[in-house]
Amino acid sequence: MKSRIIHMACVVAALGMMLLPSACSSTEEGLDREYSNTPRGNFMALWEIMDERYCYFDLKKEVLGVDWNEVKLRYSASISGDMSNRSLFEVLCKMIGELRDGHVNLSSAYDFGRNWSWKTDYPANYSKDLQDKYLGLDYVICGNSSSYRILDDNIGYMVVKSFESSISNGSLNAMFNHMALCNGLIIDIRNNGGGNQNAGDRLASRFTEESVTWGYSCYKNGPGHNDFSKLHANVIEPAWTNLRWIKPVVLLVNRGCYSTANDFAVCMKSLANVTLMGDTTGGGGGLPMSSELPNGWVVRFSSSPSYDADINHVEFGVAPDIRLDMKESDMAAGLDTYIEEARRYINDMIVNP
Amino acid sequence: MTDSFRCSDRLSGVLVILLLMLFTLPAKAEREAWSLPLYQERVSAGSVMIGSAFARETYLSESGYSGTAFGFEADIWTGYSPDRLFKYGRTHSSLHFSPMKNRVGGGSTLELTGSFHTSMLWPAVNTPVCDLLLGPSFMFELGALYNRQNSNNPATAEGYMGAGLCVDNTLHFRLFRKDMAFQATLHMPLAGVGVAPDYDQPYWYIYRYDEYEKALHFITPFNDLALMQQVALVVPFRGARVRLGYTFDYTGNRLGGHYRSIGSNFFTIGCVMRYQKKDWSR
Repeated sequence: MKSRIIHMACVVAALGMMLLPSACSSTEEGLDREYSNTPRGNFMALWEIMDERYCYFDLKKEVLGVDWNEVKLRYSASISGDMSNRSLFEVLCKMIGELRDGHVNLSSAYDFGRNWSWKTDYPANYSKDLQDKYLGLDYVICGNSSSYRILDDNIGYMVVKSFESSISNGSLNAMFNHMALCNGLIIDIRNNGGGNQNAGDRLASRFTEESVTWGYSCYKNGPGHNDFSKLHANVIEPAWTNLRWIKPVVLLVNRGCYSTANDFAVCMKSLANVTLMGDTTGGGGGLPMSSELPNGWVVRFSSSPSYDADINHVEFGVAPDIRLDMKESDMAAGLDTYIEEARRYINDMIVNP
Repeated sequence: MTDSFRCSDRLSGVLVILLLMLFTLPAKAEREAWSLPLYQERVSAGSVMIGSAFARETYLSESGYSGTAFGFEADIWTGYSPDRLFKYGRTHSSLHFSPMKNRVGGGSTLELTGSFHTSMLWPAVNTPVCDLLLGPSFMFELGALYNRQNSNNPATAEGYMGAGLCVDNTLHFRLFRKDMAFQATLHMPLAGVGVAPDYDQPYWYIYRYDEYEKALHFITPFNDLALMQQVALVVPFRGARVRLGYTFDYTGNRLGGHYRSIGSNFFTIGCVMRYQKKDWSR
């Protein structure tokens, strides 16, 4: 009799265990919100993803006057159940465009929604034709997106078009060997839209002889607008085992310098032998993350803010040490004002160190 | 759940092939379907797994994903000395892979998960019709989700390491004049360490600032419900013992402020083997 009871208990226990999967799957739906794949559901998903995860609401309110709750009310009126996907995409792009952040994008099969006013609202201060003219035809290609040559007055000129990929240490050593007798170096990062932070760090580490704290970073650690982790110091360490450049460096920047290029400019500005010349950079201080709407559109947003060494936001760019604008007269004469001023500055430093 | 159980035509084809493979097994009768290993003996069961997986991980996406899953699992029962309290050992290891799609079919996520559970078991009930084993267990599970649309945070890790409980219940019965066994096993971590980023902490930050401690969380069933459950039928078939089963693996938590519900349902098919354990100390 006793063994029969035990047997029955075991059968009941075994069958009970078979019900566990359905118990777990019901919690899947019950524990958290689920958005519907409707215009309203997608609108709410986008608004709430941004509300909980975007990192610059307070800054954008202070500088641009953006009130995210007011934005919701205003754009919610444009959402209807029978609107087309294209119309929905347009409304959603306009809504996130209020933040004027190059790292905030909505990606769909139709288009890549963006607000590039950080660049398009300002003078370009850049001419690719003139840049190519200074590089000539016998320039050296260094990595996937960099090139350099020595200008006639014995000043090195390096163009870094992107930080998407790092320049290898071997290529950098070869470049510094090639320019060993130069009086100075001009690094032109105009219109560099960013890329990999490591690529910028690797290049910057060649221009310092000591560890320098050039900024700070943190990340969102909760859904509140002010939920941030502690600040982490961004320190650039000298590339001890490789060649380093201790002569004058001029970094040419414009509004097209964004994201990693912006961070690179912040970092280089804190180094003793580096001078920033040109226009304020485009900004893009927030490390971006992505999420997804119920209809499959991917939203990208700034999630981890960065600051300079004095804990000022760099989302709106970093000001140069020497402000410059391209002159029409120079351009008409085939001269790049930025490069010419940088050459003059380095040559003056040689005469008056 | 309905999505999770939905099988594609391709999946059905693979199942038919696996069933046909059973006829290649030797044609010799076996009297007993299942018995626990004696001292220095091992009983092992290896199975291929085919089923479905689902994942909703708000660190990567607000959308839920589901898809077909494939894998392999191995279970080994070991007989220890009869004078021990824990007379049996049991290990379970599995590896599975799943390519998943979101509800609108416009995005894809890949999942790869491996797990290893090892338990010391005490025979709570040991009768001719029932073997109920209970005991402590060490469990390790680690997986990764890779969302192919996300540009800046494409992947995240999920997993845990901890101590828990293993319940292994085998019922013996006769059907169609053959001895058969029905097994149900539950592994559940009760305390340990779970892996999840601290809300929107980028993995880049974890690497750059050595901030690993923020990504590790103390877990209990109250903040991280994780379990692995197997039910299986062991039947003698043409001289071999075939193990047909269903395995469910689930992790649901809100560690680090993000919600995740990741699971898989598998139909498994394999065979059971019994062999003597080699004692190298002799």
